[in-house]
Amino acid sequence: MPSQLVHALSSSVGSKILIALTGLGLAVFLVTHLAGNILFLFGPETFNTYSHTLLSNPLVYVAEAGLLVIFLLHVVKTLVLFFGAQQARPQGYHARRWAKTKSPRSRKSVASTTMIVTGLFTLLFLVTHLGTFKFGTYYESATGMRDLYRLQLEIFSHPGYVAFYMIAMALIFLHLWHGLTSAAQSLGVDHPQWTPRILAAGRVLAVVLAGGFFLLPLYTFLLARAS
Amino acid sequence: MAMTLTLRVWRQAGPDQPGRLVDYVAHDVHPDMSFLEMLDVVNDDLIRKGDDPIAFDSDCREGICGSCGLVINGVAHGPDPGATTCQVHMRRFAAGDTIVIEPFRARAFPVLKDLVIDRSALDRIIAAGGYVSVNAGGAPDANCLPIPKHVSDQAMDSAQCIGCGACVASCKNAAAHLFTSAKVTHLALLPQGQPERARRVVRMVEQMDEEGFGACSNEGECEAVCPKEISISNIARMNREYLKATLAGE
Ligand code: FES
Repeated sequence: MPSQLVHALSSSVGSKILIALTGLGLAVFLVTHLAGNILFLFGPETFNTYSHTLLSNPLVYVAEAGLLVIFLLHVVKTLVLFFGAQQARPQGYHARRWAKTKSPRSRKSVASTTMIVTGLFTLLFLVTHLGTFKFGTYYESATGMRDLYRLQLEIFSHPGYVAFYMIAMALIFLHLWHGLTSAAQSLGVDHPQWTPRILAAGRVLAVVLAGGFFLLPLYTFLLARAS
Repeated sequence: MAMTLTLRVWRQAGPDQPGRLVDYVAHDVHPDMSFLEMLDVVNDDLIRKGDDPIAFDSDCREGICGSCGLVINGVAHGPDPGATTCQVHMRRFAAGDTIVIEPFRARAFPVLKDLVIDRSALDRIIAAGGYVSVNAGGAPDANCLPIPKHVSDQAMDSAQCIGCGACVASCKNAAAHLFTSAKVTHLALLPQGQPERARRVVRMVEQMDEEGFGACSNEGECEAVCPKEISISNIARMNREYLKATLAGE
């Protein structure tokens, strides 16, 4: 059975299901990450206590390992399918137009055509993001906890960082816009009445997640300027 | 009013020969001509001049056999939604237009000559499971096998697929998921399809992958070019069927 399952998950349909599941897993992480980061608005005490509580829980290592596996699966599976798709059409068209121009039934968008680019950019972003924060300067607060509040304030007082994060969030927004709606379809979630609502919900979530992470650096920058 | 148009047509002498786009001038094109009639007229001209006519496929010329697929100005089956190439008329074009005509492109659809491709990969997907292995016998009594109206409607919507391959041609991944899912769906919805339901979806997906088609990325360009407007809901259903079959150990 396990070998059968592995075989099934390596088929084109199985791969899509796996990409959808891992993508949704990463989106759930983003929801918790945003919820935690919003605590920045409540000042250093609240924010540092939150991150300290989170990071001092030994289970965080299990969660991190899980996230890493999910992330790698998502990236590797997508790359395999991407290169497979290149091989599936060795000779392209000379004239190529979106079929969307002939019928609105297509869901093709800038977001759907740039998934590989926005995805690979996210990978790059993640490496720099972890380097800047998780493995960045260690400040200690008066109460002996890691002062991530100070670090965030310091990083986002540089306009360059703020701009980089805003561009990154715009690209991640595109990735989520297609990804969150596409995942439902890949998992076979489809219903004449519910599909339009599921698509709308996916898009709202994309706006909220990317929008939240877009505004936080800007807010921090303004806060740093004001103080 | 007769029009003069420029055609930029893919010419390729044989399967392993290099091909290229060649320009032709189409004179006396009447707006009421079908696209294929226009090609017939151009071919008559070529034959008269002793040139090799442009090879293209067609049979019914009324949108039911699925043999006539061409990519016209970058869109499979041309500009009209819900129509095959043979149903496109020249009134859709204006005098002086240049029309680029290419074959459906996919590794699984090798070009045989000019615009003619080999679509037998789709037949092999059907042969892998798109059937019902029962002796159908004579026509059964009416209503001895009740099927709810909405289910039979859905099954008929999927069964409309004519296997033209436009879904593959327009997909950026050259995926055959819309075709395969339509075949999986129409049998999965009907009572006759139940005994082989799980095995069917697994085998057809396997064959589809083996033929070298790509993997669907849910863009729905296939649905936009499908002459029968088959919905990508079928793909969602195929994925669901596949997941169920796999979890059940098929
Ligand atoms: S020739 Fe039969 S569908 Fe066009």
